[in-house]
Amino acid sequence: MNLPETCIHCNLPIPSSGRVVDRSGDEELHFCCQGCCGAYLIITGAGLDSFYKKRTWETPGIPESAFATIYNDEYLAAFTTDLDDGREISFIISGIRCAACIWLIESILGKRTGIEEATVNYGTHRGRVRFDPAQTSPSLIFKAISRLGYGPKPFTQDEARLIQEQESRSLLIRFGTAAFLSMQLMAYSIALYGGYFSGMDQETRQLMQYFAAVVATPVVFFSGAPFLHGAWRSIVNRAPNMDLLIALGVLAAYVYSLGALVLGREVFFETSAMIITLILLGRIFENNARKKAHSGIDKLLRLAPDTARLISGDETIVVTSSQLQVGDTILVGPGDRLPVDGLLLDQETEVDESVLTGEAEPVLKQVDDILLSGSLNVATAVRVQVTQPAGSSFMARITRMIEEAQSRKAPVQGLADRVAGKFIPAVILMALATAGYWSLHSDNLVIPLLHGISVLVVACPCALGLATPTAILVATGVAASHGILFRGGDTLEAAARLTVVGFDKTGTLTEPFPQVVALAAVDGDNQALLAIAARAETGSSHPLARGILAKAQQEGIRTAEGGGTIIAGKGVRLETNETSILVGSRIFMGENNITLPKAAKATAFTEVFIAEDGRYRGCIYLDSQLRAGAIAAVRKISRLGLKTFLLTGDHLLSAEKVAALATIDQYYGDMTPADKTTWVQNLREQQEVVLMVGDGVNDGPALSAASVGCAMGGGTDIALETSDLVLMHNDLMLLPEAIRLARQTLKIIRQNLFWAFSYNLVAIPLAASGHLAPVYAAAAMAASSVCVVANSLRLKSFRPGKAELNNETNTAKLSEMHV
Amino acid sequence: MFKSILILMLLSLFMGIAAWLIFIWAVKKGEFDDLEGPKYRMLEDDPEPPATEKEDDH
Repeated sequence: MNLPETCIHCNLPIPSSGRVVDRSGDEELHFCCQGCCGAYLIITGAGLDSFYKKRTWETPGIPESAFATIYNDEYLAAFTTDLDDGREISFIISGIRCAACIWLIESILGKRTGIEEATVNYGTHRGRVRFDPAQTSPSLIFKAISRLGYGPKPFTQDEARLIQEQESRSLLIRFGTAAFLSMQLMAYSIALYGGYFSGMDQETRQLMQYFAAVVATPVVFFSGAPFLHGAWRSIVNRAPNMDLLIALGVLAAYVYSLGALVLGREVFFETSAMIITLILLGRIFENNARKKAHSGIDKLLRLAPDTARLISGDETIVVTSSQLQVGDTILVGPGDRLPVDGLLLDQETEVDESVLTGEAEPVLKQVDDILLSGSLNVATAVRVQVTQPAGSSFMARITRMIEEAQSRKAPVQGLADRVAGKFIPAVILMALATAGYWSLHSDNLVIPLLHGISVLVVACPCALGLATPTAILVATGVAASHGILFRGGDTLEAAARLTVVGFDKTGTLTEPFPQVVALAAVDGDNQALLAIAARAETGSSHPLARGILAKAQQEGIRTAEGGGTIIAGKGVRLETNETSILVGSRIFMGENNITLPKAAKATAFTEVFIAEDGRYRGCIYLDSQLRAGAIAAVRKISRLGLKTFLLTGDHLLSAEKVAALATIDQYYGDMTPADKTTWVQNLREQQEVVLMVGDGVNDGPALSAASVGCAMGGGTDIALETSDLVLMHNDLMLLPEAIRLARQTLKIIRQNLFWAFSYNLVAIPLAASGHLAPVYAAAAMAASSVCVVANSLRLKSFRPGKAELNNETNTAKLSEMHV
Repeated sequence: MFKSILILMLLSLFMGIAAWLIFIWAVKKGEFDDLEGPKYRMLEDDPEPPATEKEDDH
């Protein structure tokens, strides 16, 4: 018997042992597994048999062989490093979803000959393979990984990240050393304390003290080196800083103890060691928290892949993104991210731009559309022509903007900076005064010294310094992940203090061009009327023309090439051999001797009249539609306690209508761009904090005059250039969310500052009055910094409330108005 | 008495130093670089991964 060799459903060869046969129909059907059989029955059961006829096995456009990426050994060699025993290559692996992937890659690589060690880091998705160059090569390793379905990419550490990693490693080593030695030290100290009360012979005591000195020294000079360095720098630069306070405290305890050791008195090496240990511990916590705060943005910034598949001839070669030049053609497979901006070449595809815009739905891209770097190709493999080199791609521009934003300080921080500058000399004086006071009231030097050290250590204004920057760092990161970009800390603060919002009308509250609401053909044939109008308007970019053309396209009317001559401010005239078409205003019709029927009544809509061969054919009514979400957004902003204004260059009547629809408090019509700017300036003189929302094209000056300017238009260049606040996704609902986030951030900053100040206010008197041992002072200081950072991290949980049913409410309201 | 204390102290110091050296070695080896992944390792089974079959067919 001749059995089919391939599965009906998946077309793969049927294994001899696992043949599945379905006999429920007229003929026997053969499958490779139960899963395929089930899928087949579901598809045919739903009446979709034609799927099996329609489907094609080739990927359209690009030959499958194009995906057999060639990993070039010469190229990859640049990413390997020589070790004593073999070579090592580092790479980033894309496509890792869970820990099982790590295990799979590690065990597959581990089994290959020539590979000595393969490790993959789950947190960073970074792999490292140590191999014997005689037995295997980087390209074979890469091939093995890509056969598993993962995308290995060679990886060079960028300098900054390398330094950061080394720093956190050295911090860990310094802390570990300090902790181990402090433990030893504590053992000696406890023995010494015991000896102090119950007696200890001179010899043993000295032995203990010498041991204590030996273990304390590396803590002070190795673990404490960053503080000593910092303190030295601060003295050289005459800019007292926190390191100076810590170094003074530590050195005072250490030097005194050395002296006491020689003179045979009580020593307290453990004080200096514990101060360093605890503060290092605080730094570790703080570093981890900071890393967490950074992770959101880091993820965003690392999205554009480092490598690209360059098509050269029949092959694709992997190259670094920075090697790509304008005009190169690259291959972007499904599931790949765009390494650079580029023009879509062969066929339409869908891309997920959620990381750029916050919009979750994939966007359909047609041939000749621009694909943005960092967006994810979700549909089919496509070829893309590079339009921007990696360095100036969309992603790179956004990156620069976010980096700049994080370095721009909020005015609130100025207070902390001013205080911290004067604070440190004051603390040193206070510590001296404390020591002086206590030396008058005690017979030895130990107590005054300890109390002075407590003051030095506890007063460290670390928390004060961290209060604002950490909150801003977290807030900008969270905002960016939701498609909101703040220009900087100052913008965040201004957004939190907003009192007034001014909206531009066209393109901001309403759609950029009006929509056709009604057609009134004289002979009743509205389709024909629309076709005539569309034919004449083809090629015009006038808003009314775009409205009519959009309607025609929607109705499936194809317009011929060409289009009429535009008569500015009046209409369009199209003259051909067969026909002459006029489309335009009432006056335009009058000038061309077209008799119009008497207007029954004035409407609130814009009218466009159409005449053909000197005969009036009918009228098209157009109206501006509110943007989706406009009503909900304005309501939400009013609920936040802000006054809303509508400013438009259009007629007062249309301003009134839109203001009423969108529930805006006040409206102004017939405003020139200069009027808008003056309006903003006047309000600002009245101490109002103004947010101006516009399209960024003709209201640029007003945007820059406002406390916060925001241009709609998604992540377009115009929006990026003119806005302090950029909404990556063209959604007004992001606006109230941005304001809410800004307010929350300011609240957190205030809490942080309050905490930092009150901590010092309480702790310094406690230390000065001798109620706080230096060890506790160090612990309290570290804890207060950690508290501040943790409080800032609370911002990470910010979730914008999504507004549903704006669309429905919008259209419902509009139709009410039309009735 | 004095001698035994000295010996004990030296002993404890050397034990501490040994632990410290192990710690330094661990940090340098990158043992603390990935704090996320290892907790999943216990969930991984040991049997032959199915993908080894693919290994052979080239």
